[in-house]
Amino acid sequence: MFDVIQPGLETSIQDYPGRIGFWNQGFPPSGPMDSWSFRLANLLVGNPVGAAGLEAQYMGPTLKFSRDGVIAICGADMQAKLDGQPAPLWESIAVKSGQTLAMSAAKQGVRAYIAFAGGIDTPPWLGSRSTFHKAGVGGMEGHALKPGQSIPVAAGQGAAGAGTAGRKVKPEARPRFPSDKTWSIEVVAGPNDDWIDEAGQQRFLSSDWKLSAKSDRTGFRLDGPQWTFTEKAYKKAPENGAEPSNIIDHGYPLGAINLAGQTPIILVNDGPSMGGFINPYTVPSAAFWKLGQSKPGDIYRFKAISVDEAQAQRLALNAICQNSNIV
Amino acid sequence: MAERIETMVPGNVWKVLVKPGDKVSPGDVLFILEVMKTEVPHTSEQGGTVKAVHIVEAQEGVDAGMLAVEID
Repeated sequence: MFDVIQPGLETSIQDYPGRIGFWNQGFPPSGPMDSWSFRLANLLVGNPVGAAGLEAQYMGPTLKFSRDGVIAICGADMQAKLDGQPAPLWESIAVKSGQTLAMSAAKQGVRAYIAFAGGIDTPPWLGSRSTFHKAGVGGMEGHALKPGQSIPVAAGQGAAGAGTAGRKVKPEARPRFPSDKTWSIEVVAGPNDDWIDEAGQQRFLSSDWKLSAKSDRTGFRLDGPQWTFTEKAYKKAPENGAEPSNIIDHGYPLGAINLAGQTPIILVNDGPSMGGFINPYTVPSAAFWKLGQSKPGDIYRFKAISVDEAQAQRLALNAICQNSNIV
Repeated sequence: MAERIETMVPGNVWKVLVKPGDKVSPGDVLFILEVMKTEVPHTSEQGGTVKAVHIVEAQEGVDAGMLAVEID
């Protein structure tokens, strides 16, 4: 159990893989944007990889513990301090009842994950504790943390479940954030790549795309060159809509690069499940951690891969998020 | 005692509420950044007289840790 002194910027309870199975009813998976760091944090404290923890964004929270326990912080460096003493990243830490964990601005990366031995124990909704604030469901009362809230943490089961301090993630198993603000992001073509002409596809894959500050857990908005289209985008029934990027409402894949007029928006964890724009490319789940750790003004360069390669990358990431990488 | 207020997050400048010469009290909001469609207010800890403002409203793509306002 811990109390929220300062909530930080939209700090929310998330679990992994989130609220799966309700996309057809409009409910996105939610869950941590950087599930790599999130899963490692859980492993450090002896939890299953999916146990509910906190996702802090840009500005971390200040929390006061009301029970002894073990925690771990992974992901962005928010200069965490436990009662004024620097608290390490990628390592499990013993905390005492009455101690305060204070986090500040992210120096490297954007999102930090805090795992608690036993896991956060708020009531699940549709099988998940992940917060989806647009519908006001999951997490703590459906929204980001607020000052004064007491967050329940389950008691860990057995010796391992209570957590052990001083466990570390092997350096080679940690995600690396680029120092030059430039990220290589994998994409899979489709579902609507046939609406973009050859020049437009070349331009997409060879240009620098800048991440806008108007990006959140719903969508990541990108600034870059103009798009050009095939005849399909113009010679279509009027019910598709007037813009070349309009199409009769259809389902969106998670990670879709959704083309709203000329603005591409990557639909991420809390994104919409359907709408009337085309999605020429899709970012596979294994690349989501990079989206979650990039800042406004950072540059994305997209790299086309096949569905098989995307699935292999997902399996490779799953293989990293294992106890064998905790020492 | 001089105070230097730096941006806490990267993002866009939503509102600048002070100009050089203004007197501010501890806790006064000096400017508001926008990131993730969320407002991030920045306040003065000590108060004093605004000496310089290094950001303008609607400025896009400011970085975190940038000197924004100086107070004497």
